[in-house]
Amino acid sequence: MTTLEILVKAVMDGEEDEALVAAKKVIKEGQAVETIIEALTAGMREIGDQFARMEIFLPEMMMAAQAMKAVMGELEPELQKSAMDMEKKGAIVIGTVEGDMHEIGKDIVITLLQVQGFEVHDLGINVNALDFVKKAEEVNADIIGASSLMTTTMPNQKDIIEILKEKGLRDRFHVILGGAPVTQEWVDECGADSWGENAGKAVEILERVMAERGK
Amino acid sequence: MYKMWEIMERANTGPFCEADDFNYKVFMPKMKEVIKKYDIKYDPDNPVPSDDDLADRIWQAAVEFFLEVGVLNVDTHRRIMVDEAELKEALYHAPGRFLVGDGKDTRLWESRRPESTQPPFCIFSPDITCDEELLLPMSIAYVQEPLADGVCGPILEESMGLKIKSGAPTEMAGVVEHAMTLRQAAKMAGRPGMFLVAVGTAQSDAGQIAVSNDQWGVRHTDGRLIGALTEFRTDNELLNKIVHCMQFGCFIGCLSGAIYGGYAGRTEGATILEVAYHLVGLTLYQASFQNSFPFHLHFTSNSGREMLWLVSMKHQALSRNSRLLSTSNGFLNAGPGTEMVLYEAAAHGLASTVSGGHLWEAAPTHNKYRNYATPLEARMSCEVGHAAARQGMTRIQANEIANQLLAKYEDHVADAPKGKPFQECYDVRTARPMPWYLDMYKKVKNEVAAMGVEFPY
Repeated sequence: MTTLEILVKAVMDGEEDEALVAAKKVIKEGQAVETIIEALTAGMREIGDQFARMEIFLPEMMMAAQAMKAVMGELEPELQKSAMDMEKKGAIVIGTVEGDMHEIGKDIVITLLQVQGFEVHDLGINVNALDFVKKAEEVNADIIGASSLMTTTMPNQKDIIEILKEKGLRDRFHVILGGAPVTQEWVDECGADSWGENAGKAVEILERVMAERGK
Repeated sequence: MYKMWEIMERANTGPFCEADDFNYKVFMPKMKEVIKKYDIKYDPDNPVPSDDDLADRIWQAAVEFFLEVGVLNVDTHRRIMVDEAELKEALYHAPGRFLVGDGKDTRLWESRRPESTQPPFCIFSPDITCDEELLLPMSIAYVQEPLADGVCGPILEESMGLKIKSGAPTEMAGVVEHAMTLRQAAKMAGRPGMFLVAVGTAQSDAGQIAVSNDQWGVRHTDGRLIGALTEFRTDNELLNKIVHCMQFGCFIGCLSGAIYGGYAGRTEGATILEVAYHLVGLTLYQASFQNSFPFHLHFTSNSGREMLWLVSMKHQALSRNSRLLSTSNGFLNAGPGTEMVLYEAAAHGLASTVSGGHLWEAAPTHNKYRNYATPLEARMSCEVGHAAARQGMTRIQANEIANQLLAKYEDHVADAPKGKPFQECYDVRTARPMPWYLDMYKKVKNEVAAMGVEFPY
């Protein structure tokens, strides 16, 4: 195995320490940073696919994402030297709506989005509708993602749409909903743009949306 | 034992821990360690295992996990820790039996053991939301079920036509409508003192507190469910509910659902985690019982092969090593009005009962769609559970039957039929099942009987 292959495998296996050693070595060997990033991105895409096929689950995926994050930190000086443009697919502001403390579903979506190259702004749990909108304006997001696991917190998803309308911003953001009780009927009633039946579908939809927007 | 003050204090003074550190540095490594240390291995050939030593090792793994990880309070960023002596004390004092409900409708709820001939305590619950106009007939349909020792009614999304929003005035109105209607249904069905677990419409602490009333609301002879956040977390709002319920005097049920494929990993970790949640219920939540709904990350169900193993083993671990009362909450893939959902219900009721559990049945259609539940799915689970207990069915026999039932549906877990809503399966006016669904029920029941389940009627 080449050092680059060892690096990609370590990241995919979630072996952070091993990945960092390999990252240092691959830089020392003079491998172009663009090539390293390309190989790592392909590896993480495969991780996302393995999750969708239920070959791996949350622990493996999260550990891989953590290792990837650590390696990207290691590569940062090289990236600056090469002036490589790490173009993001799109920017999303995401959170679990007010009154709802559930986060696992949201966190899975976040990990998959990061793996696919999105810029993610995680607002956490129990987020007020107006805070979604303010953050989306602040970071000039393309997408707002709102998760709700409870039927009694789902109306807070609709509040985001209503606030966007009130502020004349409705067309500026693609609004995607998520959470176990969310259905197409609810999306239609809310006036949202889409919903992710599961994390993988959500990412597919958002990739398509960004492609249509020319990103 | 009244230990709320200790819990309140520890929620503010326990070890500081941020959420990511809790996941990556505490929870996941410890789970990996105990799976290996106690040699916990899933066996797909035996969805209802008969391995007592494995059950005891799962218990030991859960105890060690609970004592070393603690529970993260996400509001204070503190881990609430319990030590071994405190846990042993709590287990020693767990009563193992309660009288619930009131008057002639009082029921004795006692702990069971694997292969016990004592029937399971049966709570009938649709676990889903319903249209406001269906709340009363649907509630009546559930409370009139003969095997129901208790009922947890459907949940409202609207009250007087207004969308219920957690923490808003609509929730305050909706929770009262929910509580009053469920009690009205019990009274109309001639079971006025029935043990009711309510109200699922109340997400907020204020909503739960608003319905505590012995005249018109949730009585002190009733039960409440207070959830643990996934995974192994709580918050101040949940602890507020516990303080209130302890002082009001009703039965607290800790609601937990370890996720297969979540932070605990697959079957082995999720089984240990679900057992450990019962220790959270006993100590932090002062719970009288646990309602346990482990579920598959992708399917939101627990009737698949790996989930039946999980359900069976967690009840074996618990019932062999404690007197804790635990209801096994069925989450099924198919919807009402399908043969598949009835096979799933039978398998879940069977695996839970012979393993020492009680029943909380059932949430069809991945617990997702409004109005998609009827009492017949619950009836199948509970009739199978009663029959298996009465005939003294062994885990070996149950394992054979579970394999036969799985052969009927496991290939369709991912594409299960959605079925029909309550109002198409039941006559809403009389709260009785439609003849076609009853015929389907009888057909499946006869098939299950032919597999070796000796129904008393």
